[in-house]
Amino acid sequence: MRPNIPVTLLTGFLGAGKTTLLNRILTEQHGRKYAVIVNEFGETGIDNDLVVDADEEVFEMNNGCICCTVRGDLIRIFSGLMKRADSFDAIVVETTGLADPAPVVQTFFVDPEVAEKTALDAVITVVDAVHLEAQLDAHHEVEEQIAFADIVLLNKVDLVDSQSLPGLERRIRAMNPYARILQTSRCDAPLEALLEQHAFKLERVLEVEPTFLEDDHAHEHDDEISSVSLSADRPLDPDRFQDWFGTLLMRHGPDILRAKGILELAGEERRYVIQGVHMLMHSDHLGPWPDGSPRLSRLVFIGRGLQSLGLEAGFADCVAT
Amino acid sequence: MKTAGRPKQTAFEQQAHVLATGAYVTAAAAIGDTIVVAHGDGCLRLLHGDGEVVVADAHRGAILSLAVDASSATLISGADDGRVVETDLKGTSREWAAFGSRWVDHVAVNGSGVRACASGREVHVWRPGAPRPDVLEHPSSVGGLAFSPSGNRLAVAHYGGVSIWQRRAKRGWQRSQLSWAGSHIGVTWSPNGQYLISSMQECALHGWRMRDQTDMAMSGYFTKVRSWDWCGDEPYLLTSGSALPVCWPFDGARGPMGRKPLTQGNLTDGAVTQVCGLPGTRAFLAGYQDGSVALLDLDGAEPVHVLRYATGVEVTALKTTSGLELLAVGDADGHLLWSQLSRAG
Repeated sequence: MRPNIPVTLLTGFLGAGKTTLLNRILTEQHGRKYAVIVNEFGETGIDNDLVVDADEEVFEMNNGCICCTVRGDLIRIFSGLMKRADSFDAIVVETTGLADPAPVVQTFFVDPEVAEKTALDAVITVVDAVHLEAQLDAHHEVEEQIAFADIVLLNKVDLVDSQSLPGLERRIRAMNPYARILQTSRCDAPLEALLEQHAFKLERVLEVEPTFLEDDHAHEHDDEISSVSLSADRPLDPDRFQDWFGTLLMRHGPDILRAKGILELAGEERRYVIQGVHMLMHSDHLGPWPDGSPRLSRLVFIGRGLQSLGLEAGFADCVAT
Repeated sequence: MKTAGRPKQTAFEQQAHVLATGAYVTAAAAIGDTIVVAHGDGCLRLLHGDGEVVVADAHRGAILSLAVDASSATLISGADDGRVVETDLKGTSREWAAFGSRWVDHVAVNGSGVRACASGREVHVWRPGAPRPDVLEHPSSVGGLAFSPSGNRLAVAHYGGVSIWQRRAKRGWQRSQLSWAGSHIGVTWSPNGQYLISSMQECALHGWRMRDQTDMAMSGYFTKVRSWDWCGDEPYLLTSGSALPVCWPFDGARGPMGRKPLTQGNLTDGAVTQVCGLPGTRAFLAGYQDGSVALLDLDGAEPVHVLRYATGVEVTALKTTSGLELLAVGDADGHLLWSQLSRAG
């Protein structure tokens, strides 16, 4: 069997610098050949013989899951690209500035052919340090793009007062404690920090520590999207957890953008790892707890209006008695 | 896998012609006593029973769709180089149409030589003698194209259903829509034109009885149905997408409604990726994800005859000629295997 072809999703508001990064990926010498899927309203031309124009076609899946949307154009293009898969090593998908990343990410969860032949590697979101504050206040898409990011390139930092950067980072961090934030001027982060990250592998959930804010400055902005971290130092009852978690996703899946967790379930020696997007989840038992470290269950949600969902109480009720 | 490793070569393999092309086999079509295969590198190969191979450099990218124009004995192909190309039986190719950077995902030809191709949301239709193509617009990208058996209607699959186009002398192309929620990625007519079946993103088939547009749903697949063919007099619709070939009956007034499909050919643990009926018989071929190929029979009377054991490489094309002179197998690594069918044993 061939290894799955890694796919990097590149998002960011208009003018943030996506095309700059894309051109770097295509022109720098890294020994890898990329197929690039761009939308036809892209900002500038890109010169590469494996550039595919796409219309962003978001389709609802007819499967009773109200928030389960996929990118029909990507499914079609991936299927075609697999027929010449010997001519490239990886794929980059660039979205339009106003795109919601969820349908792209969900495509990898939902489509059996896409899941078999490709693997979502990471979501990279480029944000413009000069305009981020204003864009966050005016466009909910910018929040969503940050919420889904594995890596945020805080770009154009050379054009802002360096004293404003910690505040920008805090605001990003409040929405997404998992994202790695890289400050760049012309998207000049090393490519090895951006590509082939395997960010959607369950194993990576074990490796990446979320960064939570220690002070309360995060709440100086009333961003709709925020994160909630839950923890328990006693094992969870597996049935109660699945009940609570399943119902939560069913009822509030549209508002829960991403979720990641490492859990101790009663009667199970291995760590139970979950990660998901809206209503779609991957989970598995992955290896024992490290010797000598405390068995702390932790579940992190990134989403809209999380404060009203009673997450703390619901999770606390899952602790085995 | 039940056939771990490579236990032996079958009699079919021992006498078949083989060729390792290195280029993914994307489609196959039969024209006369020749089978034509299309590749991911833009080549067409015309395979002859005596082992001769004619190569046509038709495209500069992966060929995504292949159809036969019987009226002119040519092949029509569409590719990710944005071109539609016509190739004759000598292997001479010429560009028929070009769409720039837009892929040509689907091509279809009816019995009178009317040619259609889909690029994005548009279907272009060339009528013999017409000065320029007619352009048919759709609400989303086209998932599949099929002319009705009589050739006077064109079904176009897309998000939300299937459009049926019919050209009237005075009013031009008229569209009617068969609606069903979800994304439709392929379409086929029953040989008598009474049923229209679509393949869906949701790993299921949807069908309509054309007389009254009664809906029918055929589910239970674990991946999308990418290959299908009609077989037998009932007829049956043979489909890929499950561990066994799934064959739906389309006889009687209600077709498959309320009935179970035939399933047989439990050869491997992997999915069926290709099916192909043997014209004029009740026999058919099934190709599997692990590379196995079996000859089966709708009545199940004959035991499964294995034409090839597992190779580890997915079967991506299976075709026989209409006179059953030739049978060809192609896979995702570009291996070709073809032979006279009488020697299949």
